[in-house]
Amino acid sequence: MKSASTLSSAFLQPAGQALPAALLALRFDRASALANLILPTRRTENWKYSAKHLKLTDDMASTLPMNASAEAAADNLGYTVVMVNGVVRPEASNYPTLEGLSIQRFSDLNEKDATLAADLLSNSISDQPAKSGSVNLSQLNGARFEDGLLIQLQPGTVLDQPLFLIHHTTASHSGSAYPCILVAAGNNSQLTVVEDYVSSGDSCVMVNTTTEFSLGDGANVTSVRLNTEGQTVQHMGTTGVRQQRSSRFESHSVGFGGTLRRHDLHVRLEGEGAECKLNGVVVTQSTQHYDNHTTIEHVAANCNSEETYRNIAADKSHAVFNGRIHIHQDAQKSNANMSNKNLLLTSGAEIDTKPELEIYADDVLCAHGATIGQLDKESIFYLVSRGLNPRDAKVLLTMAFINELVDQIPVEQVRDTAHTGLNQFFDQAFQEV
Amino acid sequence: MLSIKNLHACVEEKQILNGLNLEIKAGEVHAIMGPNGSGKSTLSQVLAGNEAFDVTKGEVTFNGDNLLDLATEERAREGIFLAFQYPVEIPGVSNLQFLRTSVNAMRKHHGIEEMNAAEFMKLAKEVSKQVDLDPAFLKRGVNEGFSGGEKKRNEVMQALLLQPKLAILDETDSGLDIDALKVVADGVNALRAPDRSILMITHYQRLLDHIVPDYVHVLSEGKIIKSGGPELALELEAKGYGWLGIEDQVAANHE
Repeated sequence: MKSASTLSSAFLQPAGQALPAALLALRFDRASALANLILPTRRTENWKYSAKHLKLTDDMASTLPMNASAEAAADNLGYTVVMVNGVVRPEASNYPTLEGLSIQRFSDLNEKDATLAADLLSNSISDQPAKSGSVNLSQLNGARFEDGLLIQLQPGTVLDQPLFLIHHTTASHSGSAYPCILVAAGNNSQLTVVEDYVSSGDSCVMVNTTTEFSLGDGANVTSVRLNTEGQTVQHMGTTGVRQQRSSRFESHSVGFGGTLRRHDLHVRLEGEGAECKLNGVVVTQSTQHYDNHTTIEHVAANCNSEETYRNIAADKSHAVFNGRIHIHQDAQKSNANMSNKNLLLTSGAEIDTKPELEIYADDVLCAHGATIGQLDKESIFYLVSRGLNPRDAKVLLTMAFINELVDQIPVEQVRDTAHTGLNQFFDQAFQEV
Repeated sequence: MLSIKNLHACVEEKQILNGLNLEIKAGEVHAIMGPNGSGKSTLSQVLAGNEAFDVTKGEVTFNGDNLLDLATEERAREGIFLAFQYPVEIPGVSNLQFLRTSVNAMRKHHGIEEMNAAEFMKLAKEVSKQVDLDPAFLKRGVNEGFSGGEKKRNEVMQALLLQPKLAILDETDSGLDIDALKVVADGVNALRAPDRSILMITHYQRLLDHIVPDYVHVLSEGKIIKSGGPELALELEAKGYGWLGIEDQVAANHE
């Protein structure tokens, strides 16, 4: 039997030191804690299907250029923050100016804000001690971030338009990037954040992200996550969300596959009456891989969660969904709904889905459903008998599978990008012979 | 218009049609009646081009072309329309989007300019009134949550939109109450034209009170065993299929 391999120490060496003391200390602690980290294998439960796609060679350990040229964000996006290889680039960004809203890069933080950032990171759900047998590679982010963004909304502050965070990774040579985003939304504040992950170049790189949301009482935060990175990018992202009383969090994620895409989304409903809605769409083709792991913890009573994920896998690609709902003992009157539907477009594609429910309260409503199917032949015949091309009929039916979720994305530019990506996907998945 | 000679067809190796012959000329309305399991629906599916059915022998020509050589969508574009006995529900695809794609596929094939969304909406609203469907149905998913009668009216509405040369109605009368039957029959009668043929497949005579056919055929064990005028349907209604020495083939097969 092959002996377990550990994470190379090269992956624990950050490049720069341009951070406030509190964050440098935190980063140092993380690196120490991860020394000798055993890399996941197919026997690692939460990496069962993805471990074989993980290829961390030493040449990927180095930080990608922190001064790479930054393309200015498109005007039609409105408010933007551009990050290149995990480093904030104010000159390419268009920050909103709004009283009660502060957007600061880590290197600019004063001592008080740096302490807040360090607290948010050390309380981050993704960095909680891992269960035995599970490895969370996103913990690497904490040991390696070179920069990051702290977004603070004072109570009652409402940002009128979405804030686009454009994460550009330059894959012109091997290396890795560690974008880190912290959002502290005060009581009754409102914000929509779009995380847009893109890349250029075709070398093997790793993008390892952390995003943390902290929602005060009555806060309303929408998070949109779009991943259109290139094929050679190994993406491992973690989003952690803590919600206080009567807050609402919505997440819309759209992912196109790559050599490895992994997103862990962990929501804790900590205050009574909090609610979250998590939507996800994934499409994969050729030999791509995409793995979504979600966890929703009902900690307090009277919280609602609603989760809908759809995967479509073509060719020999592989999509994975693991959805865990954990209802704590005190979380009476919890209402949790989880649905995962999957569409296999070929016999060579693979989809694995696993709902997990852990319920310790006795007065809860908890429903889950998972299906895997193919395009319905009767439906195709019906459409084709009305004169449609078989290809168009298949596209229409495939689109119908995810339409509802794409339409719900509250940001027009993201819907447009999603449609463009989906059309390219259809062009390749349904080539006319 | 349509000429079927010695047609044999099977599904999953089960032989259903056993040498069926039928000639339909332009402008004619034909009704095919027959007991359950006699092959009525198979005939309609084979003509529309469902690949689940294999034609093992015989030939079918449509306006001189070999119909069996044409792909399903080509048959539709050449003017064959099948109103399904069980229209499929397709959530997520709006009726309007589907119908417009369909109409434009036909128009493109015939070199006619495609309709834009506004033009099509206007046309679709008019036609939906003709079959007494609330235009709100256009915005819903294709047949999604429609009642049996609404689905059948939606089928007739599609026929009115697509203006086929040959409309095949597969038990379009089943599951309809008397008012809905009248609406559907009015729609079908509106389709009658000198250059259009209609093939109605039905179990009951009552549809033929509203849509009077030129010819009535009785199908049994995959063959037409008797043909006649409208009076044949009345005779069948009065005497039952037993009169022709045949029994319900589903029942018979189960014995």
